[in-house]
Amino acid sequence: MPHPQHLVNILTGIKGAMEMKDSMPLAKIIKKAERPLLVIGPRALEVEIDGKLFIEYLVEIAQIGKIPICATAHTKKKLLELGITPESTYDVIEIVNSLKDPEWKGVKGEGCHDFVLFGGIRTDLGNQALSTLKHFAPHLKTMTLCKYYYPNANFSLPNYKKDEEWKGLLEGLIKGLK
Amino acid sequence: MKGKKKKEEQDKIIRAEDQWEPVGHTPMPHVTDLRNWDRRLLQTYKPFYAPFCDLCCLCTYGKCDLTGTNRGACGIDISAQQGRIVTLACCMGMSAHAGHAAHIIDYLIEKHGEDYPIDLGDQVNVECPNIRTVLGLKPKTLRDLKTAVQYAAEQLVHVVSSTHTGQEGDAVDYESKALHISMLDHVCMEAADVAQIIGFKFPTSVADTPIVDMGWGSIDRTKPVILVVGHNPASSSEIIDYLREKGLEDKVEIGGICCTALETTRYSDKAKVIGPLSRQLFFIRAGIADVIVADEQCIRTDLTDEASKVGSVVIASSDKACRGLDEVSDKPTDEVVQSMVDKGKHVLILDHEKAAEVAVEAALKLAPKRKKEKPIDEKKAKELAQACVACGSCTQVCPNLLPVGPAIQKVAEGDFEDFKMVFENCIGCGKCEEACPQDVPIFKMMQAVASWDTWKCRAGRGPVMDTEIRKVGAPIVLGTIPGVLAFVGCSNFPNEIDEIAEMVDEFARRKYIVVLTGCSAMVIGMRKDKDGKTLYEKYPGDFDAGGVVNIGSCVSNAHITGAAMKIANIFANLPLRANYEVIADYVLNRVGACGVAWGAMSQKAASIATGCNRLGIPVVLGPHSAKYRRLYLSRKEEDDWTVMDGRKKELVDTEEPSPEHLAIVTESKERAMVTIAKLCIRKNDTQPGRQIKLNHYIDLYKKFFGTLPDDLHHFVRTEKDIPMFFKKEVKQFLQEKGWKPKPVLSLPTLIGTYETEVPVEATIR
Repeated sequence: MPHPQHLVNILTGIKGAMEMKDSMPLAKIIKKAERPLLVIGPRALEVEIDGKLFIEYLVEIAQIGKIPICATAHTKKKLLELGITPESTYDVIEIVNSLKDPEWKGVKGEGCHDFVLFGGIRTDLGNQALSTLKHFAPHLKTMTLCKYYYPNANFSLPNYKKDEEWKGLLEGLIKGLK
Repeated sequence: MKGKKKKEEQDKIIRAEDQWEPVGHTPMPHVTDLRNWDRRLLQTYKPFYAPFCDLCCLCTYGKCDLTGTNRGACGIDISAQQGRIVTLACCMGMSAHAGHAAHIIDYLIEKHGEDYPIDLGDQVNVECPNIRTVLGLKPKTLRDLKTAVQYAAEQLVHVVSSTHTGQEGDAVDYESKALHISMLDHVCMEAADVAQIIGFKFPTSVADTPIVDMGWGSIDRTKPVILVVGHNPASSSEIIDYLREKGLEDKVEIGGICCTALETTRYSDKAKVIGPLSRQLFFIRAGIADVIVADEQCIRTDLTDEASKVGSVVIASSDKACRGLDEVSDKPTDEVVQSMVDKGKHVLILDHEKAAEVAVEAALKLAPKRKKEKPIDEKKAKELAQACVACGSCTQVCPNLLPVGPAIQKVAEGDFEDFKMVFENCIGCGKCEEACPQDVPIFKMMQAVASWDTWKCRAGRGPVMDTEIRKVGAPIVLGTIPGVLAFVGCSNFPNEIDEIAEMVDEFARRKYIVVLTGCSAMVIGMRKDKDGKTLYEKYPGDFDAGGVVNIGSCVSNAHITGAAMKIANIFANLPLRANYEVIADYVLNRVGACGVAWGAMSQKAASIATGCNRLGIPVVLGPHSAKYRRLYLSRKEEDDWTVMDGRKKELVDTEEPSPEHLAIVTESKERAMVTIAKLCIRKNDTQPGRQIKLNHYIDLYKKFFGTLPDDLHHFVRTEKDIPMFFKKEVKQFLQEKGWKPKPVLSLPTLIGTYETEVPVEATIR
């Protein structure tokens, strides 16, 4: 099992994320989900990949994959600027608190989500939020799209040293979701 | 344990025959006496767990993997294990304050005697609201404060014992124990600070305390420099006494880091606040201090190693932190000073008077011998950065997730902007430097980007005055002062050090009452506006709308919960005496207060916050605080918001999630500010009060998120609640949401909604 980029997030346990280096299996997993959700955090507003904001990649993934968005922290404003109205606005802890309830109706009122993607959350907070879901939400799977390995997710990207590799995966994923 | 003899013992301790107020239902409560209150609270604000560790390794059954539905060999599940760890953390935090209180009270009893009276000046009659409310005792002397701490210590034994393998096994019961011990943390903090105020004659009954110099740049390094670190002012006050006695006050610099700094500046306005905890290692490595006097809590455990590297010497002065040093309390001063000056020996001195004498004499002799280096400049930093091989180890180990490595590489190219940002966001642990295989002196290099400016901090002022409570009690409860915000805790900030100042400025400008303690109280002095003024110079120090009040050190946090209790007592005329449930219920439903622990790091922060939660005060935490493992959250749409209408004695479904959470982590300062404004909403708000609160909530939400709040309909009870400025768009929004008017209660209470001996009538005066 790989180490996370930030060692404060090192796994103290035995159930860690499957590292996903290839975009095609990822796309297949997402496509199989009945009610996916994309949770977008504020780091997506700060991180640029080859001159394009991470949040723009996430929006593309949401649009092509027809995945509803939950905007956390203050990301809603930027999403509106990008012409996207998120289906819900919570902070990450609040959306996780709802997600762990299998009876929750979800952000569209159609039932709880079975697959949740995360992008742009601080790694320590993100890994803690994923820990909650790992332990208390057996009814759903989680995946992270940041450039770092998150041990508490079900599926995680590896630690990318080079942004080009990360960009390649995100673009491959967008293509695979079409 | 209950029984006739126990009651007789309690009555004697609290002097039950004294008629100042009737004795309430829970004098000196035992671990389970407020359990039903806790369970009622946690029915709405359920524990939310984010396990930091999937294993339990506390006994030799383990290690046990508790992932998901797995149980440990003892039978414990992951939720109960989280409750258990949180309980332990709260016990550690509470015991730090209890230990501090016990020590300082004994120290002051030695100086002044057990009968030394509690007198907090002519503006403070309700001297110890926490002790009054929890124990039912109106303390009159140092001896009474000691009694309060002894009772809390006994409770601590019971709660710690519950964490032993095979004892408590239920998450909510663990939480109840954490809440109990954290309530007692506020008792101990109150006892400690009241003892300090009377024993050291700290300012009291005054708002306009001195403005003191702050920052490492304020220290005159040409003089001998004594650094005091920690939380307990026994040694630092003795140092000041010694300097005064010898006429050396202007010849020796004394500066403090962490809460001892705040305490020392309450004792002498010539002392300086060097900075918060996050600047401890930075300052020590700067080598400015000749002598470092360490007391207790929040001191680097490698202090002596770090001091040796720069030729400073350490005097450890607390039995809680002996650091493996030889005790020299009984050796002649000259001999001890000589060994420190000639051999760089660090020592343990548990006699504070002696420690002070040694500190001053050693500083006087050592300073001329030490060659204090000038701070590293950009040229030197650039040179040192050349050794970086871009391995990324520094970035990987940074607990605050900072891009240290890339910043060092830019320094090597002569670009200091990113490195400046790293310093501003640095929590001061030094792990980056430890991890560097090239031994790049990252911390020393920070000297090149640190500001060497002198800032200003207002000295801590202790309890909020009764006269102030009389003035603001009504507007707070009615809602026309939109909230009382307490920015407290450590300096483990997720972003720039001045985020706290930004938040305080925003809310003070909006006429909230802002109080601060500990490191948070220091850091707002580290930001100046365009006129060169810090927030302490910009806003008055009154506990009133738009005031920015430095209450004091960590132990002064008890005065914040105490102020909430005083509102119930002085404004609403509710008796405090052993009346915890009624007072907590009042605070929860009617006092729009919110704590903000943006940089919380320690176990003490856990118990301080949890103590606020039991009293009904919500707390907003920074993102890394998810590592505390537990929050108290509601779900506004799904949960039951029924309360009792105290006047009609009827259960009413208010449909209003206020306050929405008791303990929540937010990821960004923008989200925090919106959440803070929302968490000041209370069911008891009058319509003008609710308009004001919603006006701030909407305005902040629009500013940071760009729209009306998604959940606004939950907080509008009738159309009269809608702020005039936003009337049109809010009405349209409500229409789209299918909003219908909700009940407005003048006396909302949880009493009567759960099993308790307290009658509903007790909530009315």
